[in-house]
Amino acid sequence: MNPEDLKILIVDDFSTMRRIVRNLLKEIGYNNADEAEDGAVALSKLKAGSFNFVVSDLNMPNMNGFELLQNIRSDPGLKHLPVLLVTAEAKKEDIVTAAQMGANGYIVKPFTKATLEEKLTKIVAKMSV
Amino acid sequence: MNSDQLKSGDSDDLEALFDSIAEQRVWDNDTPEPQPAAVAASVPAASAADSMPAAQANDSVESSGGFDLSPSGDEPNDVFHRVGTLTRKLHDALRELGYDKKVEDVVGSLPDARARLNYIANLTGQAAEKVLATVENSQRMNDDLAEQARSMDAQWDRLYNNEMSLEEFKAHAQQSRDFVKRVASHTNAMGGQLTDIMMAQDFHDLTGQVVNKITTMAQGLEEQLVQLLLDTTPPDQRKQMEETWLNGPVINAEGRTDVCANQSQVDDLLESLGF
Repeated sequence: MNPEDLKILIVDDFSTMRRIVRNLLKEIGYNNADEAEDGAVALSKLKAGSFNFVVSDLNMPNMNGFELLQNIRSDPGLKHLPVLLVTAEAKKEDIVTAAQMGANGYIVKPFTKATLEEKLTKIVAKMSV
Repeated sequence: MNSDQLKSGDSDDLEALFDSIAEQRVWDNDTPEPQPAAVAASVPAASAADSMPAAQANDSVESSGGFDLSPSGDEPNDVFHRVGTLTRKLHDALRELGYDKKVEDVVGSLPDARARLNYIANLTGQAAEKVLATVENSQRMNDDLAEQARSMDAQWDRLYNNEMSLEEFKAHAQQSRDFVKRVASHTNAMGGQLTDIMMAQDFHDLTGQVVNKITTMAQGLEEQLVQLLLDTTPPDQRKQMEETWLNGPVINAEGRTDVCANQSQVDDLLESLGF
């Protein structure tokens, strides 16, 4: 799949963070992104639209990142969606939980453009396999 | 001697109080240990001739033993013990209401709140420093390019005015080439710096999450303390207390002069103000 074609959903309750991620994705080469301020809004957008990738925070009101991930993995239409978590939570148990729940990547804030690009590229590479 | 007199800020009263205590003190060199403060017991008055100036009496209070502090009407000790008893009663009451643990938890969370606020101050400070340093770098490069462009521009004017010799033109060609390379390199670096400035805004997310935690903590603290205040208010004052602290709709405006009881009063008030 062409990077340009990847439709990415950015989920975070802080608008500045969504903007930063969006700009970074654009610099990396992914120019087709949409945003959601919490897991609930994200889930309804995912069900309605044709997204290929999710970048999500963990701590959010209404529905947090773990709950969103769980809902994605249990929905027949969404379960294969790659999910990259980007969060301030650095506790080992959270990282383990995320991996067990089926997250494809985990980035800890504050992060660099290089890290985002590396993790994203790795996941995308596996997608085309 | 009652507690009201003890609370007086009037120095004359205090001195009189002190003197009266000093006079009641029994000087006894044979009993080195001061007896424990006792409840009211009659006191053999100290001989009038012994009435000491207040300063000297003060010194003797501070030195150890040698005189009997126990007799009735020994006000400082009496007050001390009353305060101690009250404190014990308050502590017991808190424990019985189940608040001592809650208050302890809440107070325990304050150092955490301080640490979080420090974190916010540090993070925002670092972000600001980083951005300012990056901006300064970018401005240097920008100024550099601007100056070179001005110089190039002047040279091109000369060329188009046929003011340039062949040698000068060769030099100009080389300079133009260098300039183009410099533009490419500087714009690349400045693009990276713009990205750095953008990334530095991530402090908003990180500090925002911490602010939310502190807000929640403060709300919890407020709720606990208000509840404690309500629970320890005497029943007859409790309703008024609840209305003060819980705010919300005015339930009983009777007797209150600071609120409007209905829309008509609101309208009257506005009209009186000229609206």
